[in-house]
Amino acid sequence: MAKVKGNSPAPAAPANSVKPQKTPKKWLKHLWENYPFLVMVFPAVLVVFLFNYLPIYGVLIAFQDFMPGDPIFSEYTQWIGFGNFTRFFTDVQFWPLMKNTFLLCIIGFFIGFPLPIIVSLMLNAMKGKRMAKVLQTIFNGPHFISLVVLVGMLTLFFGRYGLVNNIVASLGGERVSYFLEASAFRPMYILSSNWQDFGWSAIIYIAALSSVDPGQHEAAILDGATRFQRVIHVDLPAIMPMVSVMLIMSIGGLMGVGYEKALLMQTDGNLAVSELIATYVYKQGLTGIPDQAYATAIGLFNSIINVILLIIANTTSKKFSENSLW
Amino acid sequence: MASLTLKDIKKVYPNTEPVKKPKKKKNNDEPVKEKANLQITEEGVVAVQQFSLDIADGEFIVLVGPSGCGKSTTLRMIAGLEEISGGELYIGDRLVNDVAPKDRDIAMVFQNYALYPHMTVYDNMAFALKLRHTPKAEIDKKVKEAAEILDITQYLGRKPKALSGGQRQRVAIGRAIVRNPQVLLMDEPLSNLDAKLRNQMRAEIIKLRHKINTTFIYVTHDQTEAMTLGDRIVIMKDGFIQQIGTPQEVFGHPYNLFVAGFIGTPQMNFFTGCKLVKENGKYAVDILGKRIVLSEKQQAALSAKGQQPCDITVGVRPVHIQADSQGFTGKVDVSEMMGSELHLHLNVQGLDVVAVIPTVGLDLEAHSTGKEVSFSFDPSLMHLFDAQTEKNLI
Ligand SMILES: Nc1ncnc2c1ncn2[C@@H]1O[C@H](COP(=O)(O)OP(=O)(O)OP(=O)(O)O)[C@@H](O)[C@H]1O
Ligand SMILES: [Mg+2]
Repeated sequence: MAKVKGNSPAPAAPANSVKPQKTPKKWLKHLWENYPFLVMVFPAVLVVFLFNYLPIYGVLIAFQDFMPGDPIFSEYTQWIGFGNFTRFFTDVQFWPLMKNTFLLCIIGFFIGFPLPIIVSLMLNAMKGKRMAKVLQTIFNGPHFISLVVLVGMLTLFFGRYGLVNNIVASLGGERVSYFLEASAFRPMYILSSNWQDFGWSAIIYIAALSSVDPGQHEAAILDGATRFQRVIHVDLPAIMPMVSVMLIMSIGGLMGVGYEKALLMQTDGNLAVSELIATYVYKQGLTGIPDQAYATAIGLFNSIINVILLIIANTTSKKFSENSLW
Repeated sequence: MASLTLKDIKKVYPNTEPVKKPKKKKNNDEPVKEKANLQITEEGVVAVQQFSLDIADGEFIVLVGPSGCGKSTTLRMIAGLEEISGGELYIGDRLVNDVAPKDRDIAMVFQNYALYPHMTVYDNMAFALKLRHTPKAEIDKKVKEAAEILDITQYLGRKPKALSGGQRQRVAIGRAIVRNPQVLLMDEPLSNLDAKLRNQMRAEIIKLRHKINTTFIYVTHDQTEAMTLGDRIVIMKDGFIQQIGTPQEVFGHPYNLFVAGFIGTPQMNFFTGCKLVKENGKYAVDILGKRIVLSEKQQAALSAKGQQPCDITVGVRPVHIQADSQGFTGKVDVSEMMGSELHLHLNVQGLDVVAVIPTVGLDLEAHSTGKEVSFSFDPSLMHLFDAQTEKNLI
């Protein structure tokens, strides 16, 4: 989301609303006429510039042999071109990192993307509107749990002496350390993420659903549609534009998983699956003997993949439907 | 096609919020409050009550009345979109109070069209048939037939967004008629159209009526639509039926002051403060300082009822007022030239009286603003309403 906000530095907006101005003089006049809008948008542009654009110049170190403390530009700067990148591609960790990140994200996407849509459609179709509101509020709750607390909860439930193991043990079963099991990492990670965010992500669809003309539902009732058919033929098409926008954005952010949660859940037992590009970047850049140039190169590579995915998703969507981000 | 019977239908919208207790204590002695002309009782808002009507097979019924009188509510109860709080609704001889809307074999045209925006016109019309698993070939035939009737064949491939208001309205009607419903309900279908298109569509609906075989129930607040379309008109006010009758009946013999004022443009003139008197065994009316003896027919009707002399309000339609040098005099306040006729707003002893006078061979100068004019009306065309009950005396 932050990316999208950043991508629309709004001074273009007022200019777009009027016919393109040709001469510089006219353009200045045009700016002058719209100055209240420009003033309003200025703080946002400033923030985006300071925190999103200015740091971009730091990626230059990805192309340098850089040691922490070095200035980015100096006479001693050693430019090594794509050296850091080739080093990553030949790193033994490269393929496992790619695979781990991709699998975690793609499975998470296939579960996490449809879930809020289904939940919002179901909440919307509920007869008891008050009940639906209560449920929606309850579903939003977990979103506000911090990652550290969430992982703490996971250990309480799935740790060796956690709830699940206690129940299993009391029934005479073996205790399993889920955090040491590589196979348990992805299910725990993905399901807890979805549990935390499905209600929150549903909000945007619920808002879109509330604008559906009730007359359409009544028309469908008279046409003989069942409740389920009405969801399929009236509600779902109404949120379809929203779904495609969200789809494009999710695909664009597909490989952009953060390092925090994986790092919190990481143990020696599950390292083989829990080491992601993001955690690797973190470790390379900030722990041990920091190799910030290398970490930056990996991070940049990851971002480029995301941009490419976003462009592909948007172009495809533009081609097959009327919806696209740009 | 089916007949419909509505027996003492009632609709109460239950209070969504519980009645506040302190308020209740204050108004302990009057549980029924009158708010915005609607009865608000303990159970909720009574939107429609004592609604009884027999609708014949293939009849065109128009529900008409001012905003908020319960027309839509009645229609929606027939459609099954709104629960019926009391009374019985029969379609044919089947009691359908608790029958689901889709099993009532009813179609409805909505005021805002309510077309499915993501479907083409064709799919919009075919939707109901598809849900019924009608064979494809048959769907195709029926949709094309309906499109033919409504002259929208060339738009079948378009989405509703790409249609004009009038075309969308046709599609909405098309969607309703493809499945040959027993009853076709229309809730103010023309009110979103501009005046010209509305006239055109009105004519289309009249034509449509002869092309398809179904019972029509049509809601409007426009009395012109009601008069031109309806076999019978049901005039409603505050949830009650005021009168049911053919257009001629409600125009020629309104049951009460409300109907008299509602039907006909310009509105009927009302002369308040008149008196019905009996003189030498004959009924006469004291109006604006003159005594007018009633016609034979009126005499007979009044004596048959044994009507006592009383205070009355006299109603006279503007078109029934004619120039007459012997009659009442009034000053012209406003003179509106409408082409074939002249609408005169006269000030007659402080009352505003509207007269519609044909312009053929008329001296326009003598009827301009500020001029004195004399007029009268045929006593047999006077409507007499009891001043208390507001009911028509005859
Ligand atoms: N859901 C509801 N809850 C409570 N009261 C309602 C509800 N729907 C309608 N009413 C009330 O019932 C009365 C009748 O409403 P209805 O919609 O039938 O009027 P109408 O005759 O169709 O008016 P219009 O010509 O403006 O469409 C109105 O006074 C309205 O306030
Ligand atoms: Mg209405």
